[in-house]
Order: sequence, then C-alpha cells, then structure tokens
Amino acid sequence: MSDLFLKLVIESLFASIASVGFAMVFNVPKHTLTFCALGGAITHTTRTILLDLGMGIELSTFIAATFIGIIALYWSRKYIIPRPVYTVASIIPMIPGTYAFSAMINLVDMNSHGVTPELIELFIHNGLKAVAILGAISFGLALPSLYFMRLNRPVI
Amino acid sequence: MKDLNYQKQSLITRTIIKSAVLMSEFGAESILIEQTAQRLGKALGVDSVEISLIPSAIVLTTLHDNQCVTTTRRVHHKPINMSIVCEIQKIVINIEKQRYDVSYLVKALKDIEPNYYNRWLVIFMVGLACASFAYLQGSDWNAFFITLIASATAMFVRQELAKRRFVLIITFGVTAFTATLIASISQINGISSTPNIALASSVLLLAPGFSFVNSFLDALKGYLMMGWGRWMEGILLTIATSIGIIIAMAILNIKGW
Repeated sequence: MSDLFLKLVIESLFASIASVGFAMVFNVPKHTLTFCALGGAITHTTRTILLDLGMGIELSTFIAATFIGIIALYWSRKYIIPRPVYTVASIIPMIPGTYAFSAMINLVDMNSHGVTPELIELFIHNGLKAVAILGAISFGLALPSLYFMRLNRPVI
Repeated sequence: MKDLNYQKQSLITRTIIKSAVLMSEFGAESILIEQTAQRLGKALGVDSVEISLIPSAIVLTTLHDNQCVTTTRRVHHKPINMSIVCEIQKIVINIEKQRYDVSYLVKALKDIEPNYYNRWLVIFMVGLACASFAYLQGSDWNAFFITLIASATAMFVRQELAKRRFVLIITFGVTAFTATLIASISQINGISSTPNIALASSVLLLAPGFSFVNSFLDALKGYLMMGWGRWMEGILLTIATSIGIIIAMAILNIKGW
C-alpha cells in the first residue's frame, strides 16, 4: 500500500511538470499555471488508481478525463477563464504517445520490408489502442460541458 | 443608447468582429466566440448580433432599429495563445459591469499584450515536460536525459522557425526531424534500454492537443464546419510531424525498422 502511495506521489509530480510545460507552449496566463499543474496531477492519479483497481485503460482514461472536465468547469466559472486552458494541459500526461508512435513505425515497416501477419497484428493493436484512448479523452472532456450546456446561457 | 446612427453602429460592428477574429485566430472554442460577440453587442447597445463561423473567415451582422450592418473578415491561424483569449474575456466582463462604451473596447483591444514567457524558461520547461512524460511511460534515466536534451533543442528550433513566420506545417516537420535526430542517440550502443520511449516522447511537444480537443467540442455543440476544419488542421500537423520523424529515421537508417 505504501509502495503504491509513494509511486502515486512521485508520478503525480512528474505529471504536473509535464502539464506545466505544455501549458507554457500554449501561453496560458501566469496565474493559471498552478491549476494546470494540479489538473495534470489529478488526471494521472485518478487514472493510475482506476488502473490499479483493474479497470481497462480506455475506461479509466475516460473517467479521469470526465473528472477533470467537471473540475475545470468549476474553476472556469470561479476565475472566468475558458475551460480548454485547464483541460488541454491537464490531459497531456494521458496522451498515448508510445502507442501512436509504434503504430506509425509498424506502418513504415510494412512499407519497407513487406507486409507480414505479425506486423499487421501489431499495427492494428497499437493503432486501435491509440485511437481508443484519444477518443476516450476527447469524449470525456466534452461530456461535462455538454451536460451543463443550456441554450442562452454563457459557457463560462 | 437609443440614437445609434449608421457610423456608430458600423464602428461597433467593426470592433466586435475584431475581437471575434482575435479569439478565432488564437484558438478559442466556437461557442465562446459566438457568445462573446453577442454579449459585447448587448453591452454596447445593439439589438442583436448574428455570427457565421467557418474556419477561414467570420461573417458578422449587427441589427438595430431595422438597420443591419454586415462585415466579413479573413481569419489567419496563428500559434495558440490562450492569454489573449482570456484577456478579451476579461474586457467583455469589464464592459458588461462598468457600462463602458465602444471607445473603451477599441482602446482595450489595441492594448492587449500577449503574455510571452521568457524564451529560455519555455525551452527548459518543455524539455523537462517531455522528459517527465517519458518517465511516466516507464523509461530509464538515460532515456530521460536524452529526451530532455532532444525536446529542449526541438523547442529552440520551433521558436526560431516561428520567429521567421514559417507555415505551421513546415515548422512541425523540421522540429520533429530535429527531435528524432537527437533522440536517436539513445539507440547507439544500447545507452538506453528503452529507446522507443525516448523517440516517442521527444516529439510530444508537437502534439496538436488544442486542435483536436477544440474540434470535438465544436462539433458536439453544433459547429460542424469548425469541427471539421480544426480536425483537418490537427491531422495535417500530425502528418507533418510523422514525415519529419520518418525522414530522420531514413537518414540514420535506424536498426529495427
């Protein structure tokens, strides 16, 4: 148990660094940087706990993205900042970079060395994982704002 | 504000569309652009504001006392800058609360300052961010430091290209090329046991997160054209990144592919 706790703390630290770095690329206002860091830590911790409970990676990503979507809705109302400022930076630690990269490498491999069943299997596995996780992130982010969206009411 | 003559109304229209164009250029959500324009119109005293958004242009009409003023502006997409969007949001709320008139808006839009961070701080933080991402994916420490150097250099290249105002696609391709060239150090002599993670994480600074997230949010809220446009933008940038990676790997002829 304490092992898991230590791992969560260290990893959430790294996740918040990742989120802050990307928030700076998008030039967010200075006072939102802390919230971006907090958001990155929250998403990563939520996902790690859910994965530890035995859920699939897609479902846990979806729940983590929905969670940060709800929190960002609250923050955006409180500080009058558009939601994507918080959410886009917060989901960065969950991006399936390695899967997408491997899928691309497999595709190039098939082109240069000939198509084999193993390569096709690897490509479909990696590509599907990347697409599923990306879809989970985007739908999870969109869901809370769709629920709270009413006609004729400002979004922030 | 009953006595809006034609000159006054056209000035209001031009100022509102200027703020809408700024928001669209720097990457705001479509629903936010539309609502900001409508709130501005209400606060400045026109009856209603109708807006039509496509990825490359904005058409905006203000109505007041059986009199319409319509104008169109071209939108040139620029690198994402959220602080400008937040700044405009603050101006709108000021106008609503303090009942300022249109001259305040003209002046405020002119005075917007993009919140640029210190250049070297951004380079260092982006390098650290990509390295942290590599750590989260399970890399060893050699791969961590190689990713840090590779993505920091890539960020430097990206800033240099952005300063010279290259098209985004070229910027992304060249940046990915540089990042992959440096990150492939991790494959020499087995310095790192996880070279693939270093290669994948060092190009992460090019992930078009805003394009994809905004495209989904727009499409789900009924702005289908904007959704398609932003989605296409994201796909094009991803392809440019992949081409940069592939060319770098072909030059190095990295083993294993």
